[in-house]
Amino acid sequence: MTAVVTSRRKSALPKGADPNAPLLVVEDLKTYFKLDGKTVRAVDGISFTLRDGEALGLAGESGCGKTTTALSLVRLLPSNARIVSGSVKLFGVDLIKKGDKGLRRYRWREISIVFQGAMNALNPVRRIEEQIAEPIEVRLGATPAAALARASELLELVGIPRKRGRAYPHELSGGMRQRAMIAMALACDPAVVIGDEPTTALDVMVQAQILELLERLRRELGLSLILITHDLSVIAETCDRVLIMYAGRVAEEGSVERVFRQPRHPYTQKLLGAFPNIRSDRRSLEVIPGTPPDLSDPPAGCRFNPRCAFAMDVCRVEVPPEVTFADGVRVACHLYPPGSDGIPITRPATDGVVALAATAELPAISGDPS
Amino acid sequence: MGARYFGRKVFQAFLTILFVLVVNFLLFRAMPGSAERILLRNPHISQAQLEAQRERWGLNKPIIPDQLVDYVIATAQGDLGYSFQFRGQPVTEVIGGKIGPTVLLIGTGEIIALIVGLILGAYAGWRRGGPVDYGGTAVALVLYAMPSFWLGMILLIIFSTTLGLYPGHGMVTPGLGTDDPVARITDLLGHLVLPAATYALGYIGQYSLLMRSSIIEVLAEDYIQTARAKGLDETRILRSHALPNAMLPTVTLVAINFGYLWAGAITVEEVFSWPGLGTLTVDALSSRDYPVLQGIFLLLSVSVILANLVADVVYSRLDPRVRT
Amino acid sequence: MSGTTTLTASQLRAERWRLRVRGYRQFARRFGKQRAGLIGVLIVVVFALMAIVPELLVGPLEPATHPTGIPFDPPSAAHVLGTDEIGRDILNLVVHGARISLLIGFLATVITVGLGAVIGIVSGYLGGSVDTFLMRITDFFLILPTFVLALVLAPIILDTFGAGAEIFGIRMTLIAIIVVIGLTSWASTARIIRSQALSVRERAFVDRARVIGSGSGRIMIKHILPNVMSLIVANTVLVIAGSILTETTLSFIGLGDPLAPSWGTLLYFAQASGAPGSGAWWYTAAPGVSIVLVVLSFTLIGNALDDTLNPKLQVRK
Repeated sequence: MTAVVTSRRKSALPKGADPNAPLLVVEDLKTYFKLDGKTVRAVDGISFTLRDGEALGLAGESGCGKTTTALSLVRLLPSNARIVSGSVKLFGVDLIKKGDKGLRRYRWREISIVFQGAMNALNPVRRIEEQIAEPIEVRLGATPAAALARASELLELVGIPRKRGRAYPHELSGGMRQRAMIAMALACDPAVVIGDEPTTALDVMVQAQILELLERLRRELGLSLILITHDLSVIAETCDRVLIMYAGRVAEEGSVERVFRQPRHPYTQKLLGAFPNIRSDRRSLEVIPGTPPDLSDPPAGCRFNPRCAFAMDVCRVEVPPEVTFADGVRVACHLYPPGSDGIPITRPATDGVVALAATAELPAISGDPS
Repeated sequence: MGARYFGRKVFQAFLTILFVLVVNFLLFRAMPGSAERILLRNPHISQAQLEAQRERWGLNKPIIPDQLVDYVIATAQGDLGYSFQFRGQPVTEVIGGKIGPTVLLIGTGEIIALIVGLILGAYAGWRRGGPVDYGGTAVALVLYAMPSFWLGMILLIIFSTTLGLYPGHGMVTPGLGTDDPVARITDLLGHLVLPAATYALGYIGQYSLLMRSSIIEVLAEDYIQTARAKGLDETRILRSHALPNAMLPTVTLVAINFGYLWAGAITVEEVFSWPGLGTLTVDALSSRDYPVLQGIFLLLSVSVILANLVADVVYSRLDPRVRT
Repeated sequence: MSGTTTLTASQLRAERWRLRVRGYRQFARRFGKQRAGLIGVLIVVVFALMAIVPELLVGPLEPATHPTGIPFDPPSAAHVLGTDEIGRDILNLVVHGARISLLIGFLATVITVGLGAVIGIVSGYLGGSVDTFLMRITDFFLILPTFVLALVLAPIILDTFGAGAEIFGIRMTLIAIIVVIGLTSWASTARIIRSQALSVRERAFVDRARVIGSGSGRIMIKHILPNVMSLIVANTVLVIAGSILTETTLSFIGLGDPLAPSWGTLLYFAQASGAPGSGAWWYTAAPGVSIVLVVLSFTLIGNALDDTLNPKLQVRK
């Protein structure tokens, strides 16, 4: 939907950074939790690339590992979690290999996070402007006065009047608190901003305002954004690319246009079908049967197979390989084996061939490969 | 901090003090025979003399409202009556002389308890599950179960009687024989060590336990995760984010404790024969010196109410959420 | 489920009983996992046995007033805990003390929790002006130096009724202490129970009862009370610990009964006879250690009960 914007980076790159490498490359990231003696495979092999100035949406049901992925990038995980394998390369530098002190250089200065429900994410006994100024002063070495001045600028940037900076978090509305969190996230001019459900706790009107703000900031500052949400409409509006996660793995990934117009993975189709569409004829909401799997004991093979209408025998045994198509969409599903190039294996679906064309916008199977 | 908030609190405090005055009065005057105790030292007193005495002391007036009003007015003017035990000496004098030593003892003990307790508790909570945590919690639990005066007796036995390190009685050595201020202060401090340590140990347990659970709760809050995401180092997170929030319940506890500070003082002073309000209370108790008891109760209640007022004000300075 | 089965009245009763037994067994298992609580129970049982049937553990109980040895005799084979300033056996005195201290602790707790629970439930359920009024009083009692209030009330009660009088065979001195502790400690229990009652009140079954037309009293007894019971139980144990401590302190400053000495009274005698200064450490140690053990045990039990009955979600951080 939006043109790709190139970022205008103000500060020096960290040591060892390669200015020509893609901004963020995550390869086969695996993060496991230890809970009650069992190992929960929360993130089990996620890979994606974020390019400079791009906005990537990370979508999926609750518990699918979106937030854990984000926290893994800056290693903000609870003590019972471990990044088991994989690489996270920012400017070509693998953050996984960095020690605690080395990694801290990257926190907030290169990757910052806007947390969900800023209700409690802000310190209740300190003023907003102080909290925004804090990383500027401590991490960038600015003088307190300069930090406060910059904080006021940032407040203005996100649409909060400067004098409200003296307020405490409880004195602001939910929407303003979220704006303040965004201002705080921008304080050190990071390369990547991660938004973890930034609009979930807000009502629809305020949600629209925040999204508008994020859009504007992307345009003006050339932000690279990872937006985590279960709300596909948010992604549709704000992001360039989308990554659909299911049970810790990638189901489908590609440009928003392609994935939303022609969802290939059965899960994506169901997800899109589950969203009410104002323009379509009246239909009952599609419900995805079953519940998300227990990640300490996930199903063998493709994790979606117990709930998938198209499950074949191979789905229950083998993990589907990721296949990239000509239009840049990546899918992990046995319906699209390597070499199939966009055309799913036809088979009599359990409830009729109609099932494959679940979304009204889906073109006929034998046609349009684009 | 809002003036309205402050004003309201002051008014409430004033009302409570008034209530305390009434209770104080009713406790002692309305009790059967107490008024006569003021007079009847001599069982052979004649009826006429009895009447005359009652007239003189205003005891033939109805209790409510006349005697009550008299009492409130007299108290407001600083007249608390006369002690039974110390014949004829005004209660204000009797009590006044003992306030200083008690404040010295409690003040020192409380400050030590706060500093040590809070630091220990914060550290135990920060390094949860570590040896300091387990050891500290166990010690705190035991200290809590121990009557503070018993601890004092044990300390006395160990450090004074057996080891002879510190004197076990009184506030100063009688007949010190020197006017050298340094020597006198050293002597005073020497006497202060054991009682203050006893007093402090009793509260260190409470404060450290509270601070520990407070810190643990705070560390689970989202803004601590935000602070970590900002890349701040642990010391800064503790100092700027965790502690200011964890301190809040402590302030409340200190205020509530103020009511019990005196109880601890009473018994500790008894053990070490410290010449303060504590020993005075015990003596007044055994000799049924009601005017003095009344005066002490009044003094204590007023100071507790005032302390709570101060605590409210301090709390509202620390937590911006209660200033409305 | 197609169709319903109807149970006879006795089957219903049997089913309820079975569920209750299972509930107890579950509770016992969870409580058993807390080692600290178990140690507490063990110690309390030992002391209770010592108080009720001393012959079992330490030998027959002598009267508390007879000297049986030389004064200030250090612990020896004849007197395991030594003797006091008159020559009385201290172990014997400690056993007496156990009976008195535990008795006072329990009875005072009955008053404290009884008052506190009633006021808490009534205040929390009825709300409105009743609540405000009751809470004002509660706050007053919370703020006030209730210990001082206690030591002021006790001599008044004693002088009013006479120190030698007895109620149910318990001497007036002790009754005074019991009543005074009860009257001054109920406030924090009331607060705790009240907030629980508030949240129970919001639950659906209470509304249903009200719609049916049940009166407030009935609702409070049949619906609110059972649901705050677990909180009351955990609180009661902790109140016992506190009551024993308070009684000890009150006795230490002279309000105890020399003829029915509690551990606190024993310490009072120890102090009065100059034991700490003269090196008779056993006189001070024996009652004190008993107090610490018993109070600590009740505290551990109370904490374990609280964790078992009102589990708080573990926060993962």
